[in-house]
Amino acid sequence: MKIKLKEMGNSLFFSLIGIAAILILWTLGVKFTSVGLLLPTPLEVLQRMAYTFSNAIGRELTLPMHLAVSLRRVVIGFSLASVCGVVLGIAMGRFRMVEAVCKPLFELVRPIPSVAWIPLAIVWFGIGETAKTFIIFMAGFVNIVVNTYAGAKQVDENMLGVAYMLGANEIQAFFHVVIPSCVPYIFAGMQVGLSTCWMAVLAAEMVSSTEGIGWTITAGQENGDMTQIFVGIIAIAVVGLLLAVLMRWAERVLCRWRVRGK
Amino acid sequence: MSEEVMVSVKNLTKSFGDLLVLDDISFDVKKHEFLCIVGPTGCGKTTFLNSLTKLYDIDRGAITLGGQPIDPKKQNIAYIFQEYSTMEWLTVEENISYGLRIKHVDKQTARQRVDHVMNIVGLSKYANYYPRQLSASMLQRVVIARAFAVEPELLLMDEPYGQLDLQLKYHLEDELINLWQTTGTTVIFITHNIEEAVYLSDRILVLTNKPTKIKQSLTNDLPRPRKVSAPDFIKLRNEVTDLIKWW
Repeated sequence: MKIKLKEMGNSLFFSLIGIAAILILWTLGVKFTSVGLLLPTPLEVLQRMAYTFSNAIGRELTLPMHLAVSLRRVVIGFSLASVCGVVLGIAMGRFRMVEAVCKPLFELVRPIPSVAWIPLAIVWFGIGETAKTFIIFMAGFVNIVVNTYAGAKQVDENMLGVAYMLGANEIQAFFHVVIPSCVPYIFAGMQVGLSTCWMAVLAAEMVSSTEGIGWTITAGQENGDMTQIFVGIIAIAVVGLLLAVLMRWAERVLCRWRVRGK
Repeated sequence: MSEEVMVSVKNLTKSFGDLLVLDDISFDVKKHEFLCIVGPTGCGKTTFLNSLTKLYDIDRGAITLGGQPIDPKKQNIAYIFQEYSTMEWLTVEENISYGLRIKHVDKQTARQRVDHVMNIVGLSKYANYYPRQLSASMLQRVVIARAFAVEPELLLMDEPYGQLDLQLKYHLEDELINLWQTTGTTVIFITHNIEEAVYLSDRILVLTNKPTKIKQSLTNDLPRPRKVSAPDFIKLRNEVTDLIKWW
């Protein structure tokens, strides 16, 4: 335990050194080179960030409100992508007929980057929330299907045999063996899917929006306000990191059995 | 041992593509009989068991358990596979009680049976561990305990002790005999270990090379508990060895 804490302490220490080095280099670059014409100092960014916590960017929304708007969009799009992705992935992995029908279509859709759906989404759904949800959905859906499908394909047939031999019917075997076997794969897909959804919301908001964290960056660019752009970028990074941590935590809780040792 | 037939196999035939593996096999297993099946490596012993339990579709033949077509959903059967088959998302205790849960055994009875078999296989201390945290021999003990817990009418075992250390193997062989004698279970036990077959069985079926047929059925009425150094034991072991020799 002591060794583990020491290792964690060391790791944190070196991470902080890395961050401090970047901030120092950034500050020195801005102060003493022509980079200063293009970049604000880290301190200016932090000050603006603190300011926008209680003061509006744009008409009325503060930075946390813009983040909340973007997060809401991600939660909706990601949730839909998760449900549809898991269902389709498992169906493709376990039922040959579904695989035969859907896999070729899915393989066609799979390489399309989520931003490529933006023009179509605008034409189909206008510039409202539906278009954004659709873009986010497409970004997460593909990753979740790919991973879930891989998991469903790799279910140990012996394990299904065990369940059947102990008297399980098809439905029980599905819920007791197939689903738990797929859970790690589903989580892997959701991890990647969540980050691609987060990227997609920014892209969607940059194209057509009047609120959200993507919009704050676009607005900063239009006003030549580099500090605001940086505030938006750093907010994205922090929220992205928090979402990833949240997903890992959820995975640790729901897949306790994958952790070796006590 | 009762003379009542528990398992009846008639004309069991199974092939994979052009490869005929099981060739028109017929035999009966009596109620409460301990049948060991031995045969040369690769002769299709596992295919034989998987066909018997319909995990594989058979080409031809009929298999009945207690006069009814064999059906794990309706009949109380347990199968111990050669490979580790613990469910890694369940704890040791949950793995062992899985069959009881499926069969809707009441909680108190289930609790007693799980505690009992965990004690037999020495896993009581590890009830809340996950398979990933266990050694290879412990994993196999979980699987064996899971099969014992359901107190099956028919227990099928496919080289279950092949990966265990000798001490544990001997211990579990004795425990298996103890459980078989106290529960009245019928056991079909596949092994490549002739000494194990002679130690455990009432009868030994010797299989041929592929396409597999029954070469001989040997009654094993050596008194129990058996001694591996007893002259009769060695005589029967040599007899089975001679039947299996293909060189």
